Amino acid sequence: MSSGLGNFPSSADYGALLPAFLVAIVPLLILFVDLFYRESGPWRRVVAVGIALVWLIVAGVLQGLQYPHDVIAFGGAFVQGGFSIVFSEIVIVATIATLLLSIGVGRDDQVAGTTALLLWSASGAMLMAGAANLMIVFLGLELLSLGLYCLCAMSKRPTARESALKYLILSSMASGFLLYGSALLFGATGSVAFAALAAATVTPLLALGAGLFIVGLAFKLSLVPFHAWTPDVYEGAPLPITAFMSVATKAGTLAVLARFAYAALPSERAAAILAPLWVLAALSMLIGNLGALAQTDMKRLLAYSGIAQVGYIVTAFAGTTALGLRYAMLYLAGYTFMNLGAFAVVALMARDGDAVVGLPRFAGLARRRPWLAGAMTFFLIGLAGLPPTIGFTGKILILAATVGAGYAWLAGVLIAGTAISAYVYFKIVRIMFAEVDAAHVRDERSSNVLPWIAVGVCAAATFVLGIFPFTPSNVLPLLK
Amino acid sequence: MIVTALVLGPIVAGLLLYAVPRERGKIAAGLAALVAALTFALAIAGAHGADASLRWLSRPFAASFHLGFGPISFWLVLLLALATFGGALALNGARARNVAAQLLVLQGAMNGVFLAKDLLLFALFWDLMLIPVFLVLIDAGPYARAAWKYLLYNLAGGLTLLLATAAFGVVVGTTDVIGDPNAHVAIGAAWGIWIFAGFALAFLIKTPVFPFHTWMPDTYADLPPAAVAIVSAVQSKAGLYGFIAIALPFLAEQMAQARTLMFVLGTIALVYGALAALAERDAKRVVAYSSLSHLGLILLAIFSGSALALQGALVYILAHGLFSAALFLALGAVEEREETRDLARLGGLGARNPKLAGALMLGALAALGLPGLAGFSGEILILTGIFKAGYVWPAIVALVAIVLASAYMLRLFQGIMNGPQLPDLPERRDMTWLEGLAIAPLVAGFLLLGLSPGPVLTYHTIVTAAENTRVVGSR
Repeated sequence: MSSGLGNFPSSADYGALLPAFLVAIVPLLILFVDLFYRESGPWRRVVAVGIALVWLIVAGVLQGLQYPHDVIAFGGAFVQGGFSIVFSEIVIVATIATLLLSIGVGRDDQVAGTTALLLWSASGAMLMAGAANLMIVFLGLELLSLGLYCLCAMSKRPTARESALKYLILSSMASGFLLYGSALLFGATGSVAFAALAAATVTPLLALGAGLFIVGLAFKLSLVPFHAWTPDVYEGAPLPITAFMSVATKAGTLAVLARFAYAALPSERAAAILAPLWVLAALSMLIGNLGALAQTDMKRLLAYSGIAQVGYIVTAFAGTTALGLRYAMLYLAGYTFMNLGAFAVVALMARDGDAVVGLPRFAGLARRRPWLAGAMTFFLIGLAGLPPTIGFTGKILILAATVGAGYAWLAGVLIAGTAISAYVYFKIVRIMFAEVDAAHVRDERSSNVLPWIAVGVCAAATFVLGIFPFTPSNVLPLLK
Repeated sequence: MIVTALVLGPIVAGLLLYAVPRERGKIAAGLAALVAALTFALAIAGAHGADASLRWLSRPFAASFHLGFGPISFWLVLLLALATFGGALALNGARARNVAAQLLVLQGAMNGVFLAKDLLLFALFWDLMLIPVFLVLIDAGPYARAAWKYLLYNLAGGLTLLLATAAFGVVVGTTDVIGDPNAHVAIGAAWGIWIFAGFALAFLIKTPVFPFHTWMPDTYADLPPAAVAIVSAVQSKAGLYGFIAIALPFLAEQMAQARTLMFVLGTIALVYGALAALAERDAKRVVAYSSLSHLGLILLAIFSGSALALQGALVYILAHGLFSAALFLALGAVEEREETRDLARLGGLGARNPKLAGALMLGALAALGLPGLAGFSGEILILTGIFKAGYVWPAIVALVAIVLASAYMLRLFQGIMNGPQLPDLPERRDMTWLEGLAIAPLVAGFLLLGLSPGPVLTYHTIVTAAENTRVVGSR
């Protein structure tokens, strides 16, 4: 089934890669079709986004069919199985939602380009989900990031360029950490394969390499104290791109982090090497939520909230238990829907789907647009971890896994972080339900109704996952 | 099936009420009252029905959507239906539709708390209770201070409950244990104290008990009378119910260890609540602080380890629910007429509003423990039980606090109804039949319960005795 190094890759190898490959190849088609338009018009958007949507759904279904089969492709460099498929599907869902949000954003002649870049980024994240050696991790990460640098700048706002530049510089720095860590790991073991790392004896060089590798990932995940770039970048980037970054980037990076933490470290010393990671998670849960308290811009607020939410997910890895991994994946899926739902609501509140949406814009929303306010309330309840949502169910499962793994203190921090977050999320609820004079509020409506699809699907998924928390049982093996 | 309907029915009905136009608040309120009356009938019809159970989780611990009647929950569900019925009928004003909808959601969530036989499901409904009350509260004041206090206090409790539930599940392997006499629950001492602490904090905050009570007077003052009738009458009992249904059977040892602490907290609440009620000028806050005092007494009873006191606690839980709901509804009627709750500005209403005065009088008399009304039956059982169990000093302190109840309740009544009629108060007509209909079932309830608490007691004798042997045995 798998070919060893030095053999020619078999068709099974390419089959494993097919979904990511499909997502990476369709941008060429989109750009090619776009060449035939002489003048701008709404059709130009519809065709570009339509091709992408159909293709993503096909890729998602194809990939779902692969779920029961574990394929270790390219000599162990890329492992497609339950684990990677769940993460990749999350990336696909995020990309579809982003497309629904973005169809009205930007100029007609830019839409094909942004769609193409978005799909390349998504394929990078999908590659990361299956990556099982250091080279593929870096390849996926760069593919993901390069598209995003451009996408962040795709807005008329002056802050967009600042956002893109900041993201470029800080993300490059993170890549530097990651590369340096990879180099040290290679130096320590003589191999780039995760499997070889796991079999190696622990030397200071390997520990240092692993530390730098994790720091690089923490940068990308915006775990505290490597989070400072996130609010600025999120604020400046176009709204749909922010939504994408808040989910897909995190999903891809979390997949790498999980595979690295669970399968690529020598088991006898893994706990010691990973100990600082739990501290980062604890700091993220506290400081992310504290930071969100002061925000008045919706995107900045969601940036800080995302920092804390990733902290919850990393908490589930504590003790690297199999149950913890499953609940982390479940919570990530839940976070995907809750967060994308919230972003879709924000998109529906801006005429062009991409405006600066401050909290005052939500004032009195419950009276003006009750459905929108109701949906937002539901997503916020979920993000705050209250029932009947996956936010509640996922959190109690993470708590159980963390307590069961012997990290009760981390569970305590999670509780404290959640308590702080309640004020953040319910502040928005309070603003939405406040009585205000309608004349004082700028009431914009998006001309694009597609985000409503995202709102509906996300709300349904948030509820259903909360009642029936399907956890992927087929998450192992991560390597072979 | 009926238990499921009791939980989901009001929630769905509440959400559907949003389809009623805002201007038709009275219709929404009437529909809500109808739903509450239906749940009352359903609860009686379904009291002996089978449990509803559906597997929820099998890992990391077994959990089920398991709903069913327990001996205590039956009465609490009835009490809740009465309070919701009264509260819904008392609604009017611009926000009546929204409040009516949220009251029904709250009723469903609280039915869930009382009917849940699975600890995780209990925690789910426990947290769900927060949302409707918060949504009602944020409308109340310009800064929604009470709403934040309510939310943050109670969410802190809800989260420790969640953590304790997760730990319980991990240690025991299942959370499907509430009301199951065959449940094999062995929690070691190392975990037990933390799990108990998590549960106890949640229950103490919700009840509330000193020193976690500071959210309560603000919340009660800001909530509309209809909602406060439910929150004070029934939601405050969720914590006490938790102690009886969860802590007594599974954490009896820890309860015995915590007895001194709880006695201190309960006694402080008893005395402090009574003194604060004597000093307050805001009529709603008088009743709020009197609740603090009364609930402190129930806490003493639950932790005394005496079967007699525990039976008294059950009676008093119901009695307090009935008379505090009646009192808050009557005070709501007063406030609506006179646009103030300040005892110094009120006075002499009794002459023109004899029916309203009668309703308030009945509530006050029940609250101060007049023999023949429900408050007395509970108090005498609790005091005798605590005394017989050997806690002489707490019993004496409690007795003093109960005597103070006469003082503050009569002060409340006289301040509003007696004395010369103040000239600057608007004159309004007496209680309407609708307001009477809202309060009447509650008054009938505490009259009946006062005359014959038997049904509540005999129903429980076996259960409470069985539960108590464990507590007493571990003393």
